[in-house]
Amino acid sequence: MKIEDVVCTFCGCLCDDLVVEVDGRRVVSVENGCTLANEKFMGDHRLQSPIRRNGKGWEHISYDDAIRETAEILCDADRPILYGWSGTHGEAQSIGIHLAELLGALVDNTSTVCHGPSILAIQEVGHPGCTLGQVKNRADVVVYWGTNPIDAHPRHMSRYTTFADGFFLKEAFRDRRLIVVDVRKTESANIADEFITIEPGGDYAVLSALRAIVRGKREIIPPSVSGVSREQLFRVADLLLSAKFGAIFFGLGLTMSPGKYKNVRNAIELTEELSRHTKYTISPMRGHWNVYGSNEVFTWITGYPYAVDFARGIAFYNPGETTSVDVLRRKECDACLVVGSDPGAHFPKACAEHLARIPTIQIDPHTNATTHLSRIQIPVAVTGIDAEGTAYRMDGVPIRTRMLFKGEYPSDTEILERLYTLVKEAKGP
Amino acid sequence: MSELLVRNAYVIDPLSGIKGDVMDIAIRDGKIVEEVGRNAEVIDADHCLTLPGGVDSHSHVCGTKVNFGRYMSPEDMRAGRTARKGVMHVTSGYSVPTTFGNSYRYSIMGYTTILEGAMAPLEARHTHEEFTATPHQDMLANTLFDGNWSIMEAVREKDVKRAAAVVAWTLSAVKGFAIKLTNPGGTEAWGWGEDVHSILDQVPHFGVTPAEIIETMIRANELLNLPHSVHIHCNALGVPGNYRTTLDTLDLVPDLNDKRQTLYLTHLQFHSYGGSTWKDISSKSEDIARAVNNKPQVAIDMGQIMFGRTTTMTADGPMEFKLYMLHHNKWSNHDVELETGSGIIPVYYSRKSLVNCVMWAIGLELALLTKDPWQCMLSTDNPNGAPFVKYPEIIALLMSRRFRENELALLDPRTAHYVPLPAIDRELDWYDIAVMTRAGQAKALGITGVGKGHLAPGAEADIAIYPLKPDSLDPSTEYQQVMAGFGKTRYTIKRGRVVARDGEVVVEGANSTIWTKAITPPEFDLSVDPEFVKKFEQYYTVRMSNYPVQDVYLPRGVCIATEASL
Amino acid sequence: MRVILRTKPRKKPFIPIEAEAIIPQNFLRKNDITVYEGNKERKLDEIFYITTEGPAVSPDQVEIVLSGETGRIKRVGEYMNAGRIVIEGDIGMHCGNFMSAGEIIIKGNADAWLGREMRGGIIRCEGNASHYCAAGYRGEKRGMRGGIVQVMGNAGDFTAEYLSGGEVTIHGDCGDLPGVEMRGGTLIIGGNCRRPCGNMTGGICMIFGKADAMLPTFRNTGSEEKEYGGHHHRMTMYRGDIANRGKGTLLVKIN
Repeated sequence: MKIEDVVCTFCGCLCDDLVVEVDGRRVVSVENGCTLANEKFMGDHRLQSPIRRNGKGWEHISYDDAIRETAEILCDADRPILYGWSGTHGEAQSIGIHLAELLGALVDNTSTVCHGPSILAIQEVGHPGCTLGQVKNRADVVVYWGTNPIDAHPRHMSRYTTFADGFFLKEAFRDRRLIVVDVRKTESANIADEFITIEPGGDYAVLSALRAIVRGKREIIPPSVSGVSREQLFRVADLLLSAKFGAIFFGLGLTMSPGKYKNVRNAIELTEELSRHTKYTISPMRGHWNVYGSNEVFTWITGYPYAVDFARGIAFYNPGETTSVDVLRRKECDACLVVGSDPGAHFPKACAEHLARIPTIQIDPHTNATTHLSRIQIPVAVTGIDAEGTAYRMDGVPIRTRMLFKGEYPSDTEILERLYTLVKEAKGP
Repeated sequence: MSELLVRNAYVIDPLSGIKGDVMDIAIRDGKIVEEVGRNAEVIDADHCLTLPGGVDSHSHVCGTKVNFGRYMSPEDMRAGRTARKGVMHVTSGYSVPTTFGNSYRYSIMGYTTILEGAMAPLEARHTHEEFTATPHQDMLANTLFDGNWSIMEAVREKDVKRAAAVVAWTLSAVKGFAIKLTNPGGTEAWGWGEDVHSILDQVPHFGVTPAEIIETMIRANELLNLPHSVHIHCNALGVPGNYRTTLDTLDLVPDLNDKRQTLYLTHLQFHSYGGSTWKDISSKSEDIARAVNNKPQVAIDMGQIMFGRTTTMTADGPMEFKLYMLHHNKWSNHDVELETGSGIIPVYYSRKSLVNCVMWAIGLELALLTKDPWQCMLSTDNPNGAPFVKYPEIIALLMSRRFRENELALLDPRTAHYVPLPAIDRELDWYDIAVMTRAGQAKALGITGVGKGHLAPGAEADIAIYPLKPDSLDPSTEYQQVMAGFGKTRYTIKRGRVVARDGEVVVEGANSTIWTKAITPPEFDLSVDPEFVKKFEQYYTVRMSNYPVQDVYLPRGVCIATEASL
Repeated sequence: MRVILRTKPRKKPFIPIEAEAIIPQNFLRKNDITVYEGNKERKLDEIFYITTEGPAVSPDQVEIVLSGETGRIKRVGEYMNAGRIVIEGDIGMHCGNFMSAGEIIIKGNADAWLGREMRGGIIRCEGNASHYCAAGYRGEKRGMRGGIVQVMGNAGDFTAEYLSGGEVTIHGDCGDLPGVEMRGGTLIIGGNCRRPCGNMTGGICMIFGKADAMLPTFRNTGSEEKEYGGHHHRMTMYRGDIANRGKGTLLVKIN
C-alpha cells in the first residue's frame, strides 16, 4: 500500500510530501525523502520488549513490571530529571511535563544541547522570524550562518530556499543570492555567491562589525575582523542591504561557539538593524523533528521552553543551572527518565557517567548509546511510522504526523499515561 | 442525571429581559431548566449578583503568537507563579500566563467562554492544542484572512462568492469560528517590510485596497450566514490621527443582518487618536462614539489600557515593528505564508506618559459615550491593553465617577487638555456591566443560540455568582468592593458544575470548542478547484491534505453549521 | 546575635539545597525555618547543627555564620535587607540575590549568579566567583542595580551582564564578555579578560590587566589616568558599543 503526503520524523524540516509504501508492518520503499529519511523509515531495528539490567546482563520483563519499577524509582528520588522529548509527539510531551510537575522533577528537552542558546538570545531581544513559505515565495537574499544544510537538513534548500521556486521568484536558483558563513568550506559553501570564512570563535565580532556597517559607521571598521577583510564585510553588508526580502538561517556553528547565545543575539540584532532598511527575518535550523514542539508544549504548560525545575512546586527556569547537562555534570540528579532522545550519544562524558551511576530508564524504540547507561529500557512505537501525534516544524508550523500501520508496540503516550497514573496513586491527592 | 438549584440569586439576565430579580435557577445535566426535583443539590446565592457566565469576545490566550509571548519572556513568567495545588496545575506568567493560568484566572472571575482574537489558519492546530489545555472555558477562534492570497485575488476579481467559498473551506478546515481581518492588506505589505496607511492604499502586487477587502468580506460573511459578523482590527492601529481611518471604515458598513451587527470593530481605543504626532495625540472618542451611536449595525469593544507592564501581541506585524522603534525593548515577528503575520513586544504603560494617559482615557470614554451598551463590549484586547485580570478595575472605573476622578488626579496633569473624560458624568449600572461582559458579547458573537450569555431554560448552565449585593452596595462610592467582587466569584458554574469557588478552581475542566461550518453548493467546493489546489502545490510549504485540523484536536467540538446562500 | 550553622553530613551530598530562608531577618523569630533539599522540604536542623549566641532586637544585629559543606547551598542571603552573613567556605549559586542592604562575606569561592539583581549592600568574596557574577535574570533588561560586589580572586564569563548600577570589582581575571549589555554602574577588572563590554550602552568599565580580542566596534577617544591598587595607570579610553548606538565608556590600561 502506498501512502502519500507522509510526514518525515527525522529533522526539523518536517517534510510532509513523502510517499511511503507499506507491506503489513514493514516499510518497503520511500519516495521524495532524503537519505536521512530513507534510513529513518527503512532501517528500523526495534528492541523487542522491555529489558532490565540484572547482575550479569539484560533480562526481558513485562511492560507492567517495567512501568511499575520506573514509577517506584521516580517516586523515591529527591531530584529526578525527565529528559529528552524532542523525538516524540506533543501529546506525550504534555504528559511528561505533568508527570514532572507531580514528581517535583526537573524536566528538560534536547534544546539543552542544540538551540538552547538561541532561546536565551530570543529572550533578550525577541525573534523576527516567519514561516518557511514566506522565504520560499519572497527571499532574494539567503544567508546560512554556521550551518551546513546540505548535510544536516538535506532538503532545506530544495524545499524552502535556494532551489525552491516561489511566487515572486519564478527561477529561484538564478534570482536568489546565497551567502554562507562558516569556519570551513562546506558543501553548502560551494554553491554560495559569497562565502565568508571566519576564524573559530570570531562570529560575535563579525556580527558586531556588520551591525555597525549597516548603521553607517564604516569608518571604525579595522582592516580585518576575525579573519574577514573589511572589503568583504562592506561587500556583504551591501549585498544584505540590496535584498527585497532577506532570510538568515543559523545553526550550531553560532550557538555552540564561544559566546554562545550572545552570538545569536548579535545575529538577531543585525536582523533588526537590517529591518530598518528592508525586510529581514532570521530562523534557527532546528535539529530534531519535534524539538520545536517540545519547546512549544513546555512553554504553554510551564511558561518556559526548556530546563524547567519543579523541585519547589512552582516552575523555575534558569539555563546554566536547570539545564540537564549542567545538572548531570554537578551530579545533582538521583534518577533519570529519558524519552525520545539519546543523551548517551550527545552528552559530555561526565554527564553520561553520572547517568550510568544513577537509575536511568529509557523509553525508546531502539537500542542506542543510552541503552548502555540505562537500568531499564521500554520499547515504544515510532512516531511517524506506527504512532502518530503533533509535531512542530522548525518555523513553528504544527503538522500531524501519520501512523502508517498499527504495530504491536504501545506509543510513548500510552506508556507515559500509565506511568502518570501510578505516580499519581503513589503521591495521593 | 445531575441537578442543581441556585436559590435566592439576584439575577441580571439581559437577554431574557431580567434586570435584577431575586429568583431561583434550576439546572439539570448542564442546562438551565424550569424546575428540578427535591433532591437537587442546592447553592444559596444569598441575594448575591448572579449573571450568565462571562463571555470575552476578544482576547489573546492561545496559539502561536501567544505562546511566543511566553517563550520570549521568562521575566513575565516569573512574575506570576503558583504551585500545583489540588486539581490546579502549576501556573506561570502575569501578562501572558500559561494556558492553565489563563483558564483558572478567568474562571475565578466568572468567565466561561473566550474568543481567541487571532488564529493563523496554517497554525490553527497549535491554537486548538492550547484550547484543550485551557479547560474551564468554551473556546472560539477568530480566523485571520487579512492577507490571504486567495481572498485578495477574489477581491480583485470582484467575486464575492469566491471569497465566501474560500472562507467556507478555510473555516471548516481549520475549525475556526469567524472571519478576522487584522490590518487588512497591511500584513501582506509587511511581507515586504511595508504597510498600508489608509483604507484606500493599494496592497503591493495584489492591486486591491483594504476598503475592498473589508466590503467584500462583509458580504461574503453574510452569504455564508455565519453566526458572527466580520471582526476587524482596523488599519493604522496606534497611529496619531488614525480616527479618520476608523471613521472611513465605519462608513463602509451596510446593515445586512437583523440579529446582530454587520461589523465588529475590536479594541477601538487604539483606533481613536487625533493629532498628527505623539506630541499632539488627542482623544477622538467623541467622533468615534458619535459614529457608533449613529450606526446600530456596528459593535465595538473598548481595548482599554491599564497602567503597568504587559505584552502586546497582534497579527499586525508592521504595527509591532513601529512600536518596537518607540520602545526598543525586544521584538518578535512571525509572518505566515500566504495568510497573515504577527508581532510581539513587551510594553509598560506609565502614568507619567501623556500618550499613555490619553490612551487610558479614550477606552473609558468609548464605553461611556456609546449610548447602547449592546454596542460596546468591555475588553482590554488582553493582554495588549492590560491583562484580563484588570477587568474588575475597569468595571469599577465605569461605575464610579469618583474613582475616575481619583485616578485622573494621579495622571500627567496635561491629560485633561487632550481628552473629554473629566467632563463625562455617566456611571454605568449593574445592567450595563452585565451586557458589556456577557450578554452583549454573546449576542455579538451570535452564540446565544447555542446557549451562551443568558439563563433562559435551555441555555448552558454557565453562571457566575459574585459576592456583591446590588441592593445594598453603591458602586459610585463603594468601588473598591465592586472591584474586589468582580475579581473573585463566590461560585463559577460551568455547564451545571461548580468549577471555581472563592478564588479556587475545584474541578478539572472539560471545555468545548465552538466552530462554524458553512455548507456550500458543490460548485463552490474549493478542495477540487484547480486554482486553489495550486496554491498548496506551489506556494504553501504544507501539503493540502496535511493542512486541515483533524477532529482529534477537538475532543468536544461544537459545530454551528449554516446553509450558505450562494 | 550570632547564629552558627554548621552542615550535617548528607546521604546525597550533591543534591542542591535551596536556602533563601537563611537571611538575618528570619532569625529574629527562628522557629520554623525550612529549606529544600532537591524536592523535599527539610527543617533547618535536619541540615545544620545550629548554635545561637546572644540576643538581637533587629535584623542588623544578626550575624549568620555558615560553615562546613556549603558549596551546594543556593540562594543564601536572597532579599537580605540588613545584618551580616559570613560563609567560612564556598557558597552555592545565587548568593545575595536581590539583596538590598547588609553584608555578605564569603571566605571561599562563590558559585554562579553571585549578587544577581542586587539592589544594595556589600558582597565580598575572598576566593573566585563563577559565571554571571553580579548579573541579571533571563529576559530582564536590568541586572544589578546598586550596591557593591568585590571579588578578590577571578570571575567567570558574563560578569556583570546587564549591569545597571552599583560597583563591581574583580581583582583577578574575568572570563569572556564581562560587562556585556552593560547599561550603567561601574565594572573594575584588576586582571585580564576577553571581549569586554559587548553591546554596552552605558556605564564605565575599567580594565587594569589585558583585554584580549577587543571588539571592533569601540571608538578610541584618547587616554586618561586612573588609580587602582594604589598606583596610577594610563588608560586608553573607548566609547561604544557602536554596534548598538552605545554611550558606554571602556578604559583599558596601556601596557
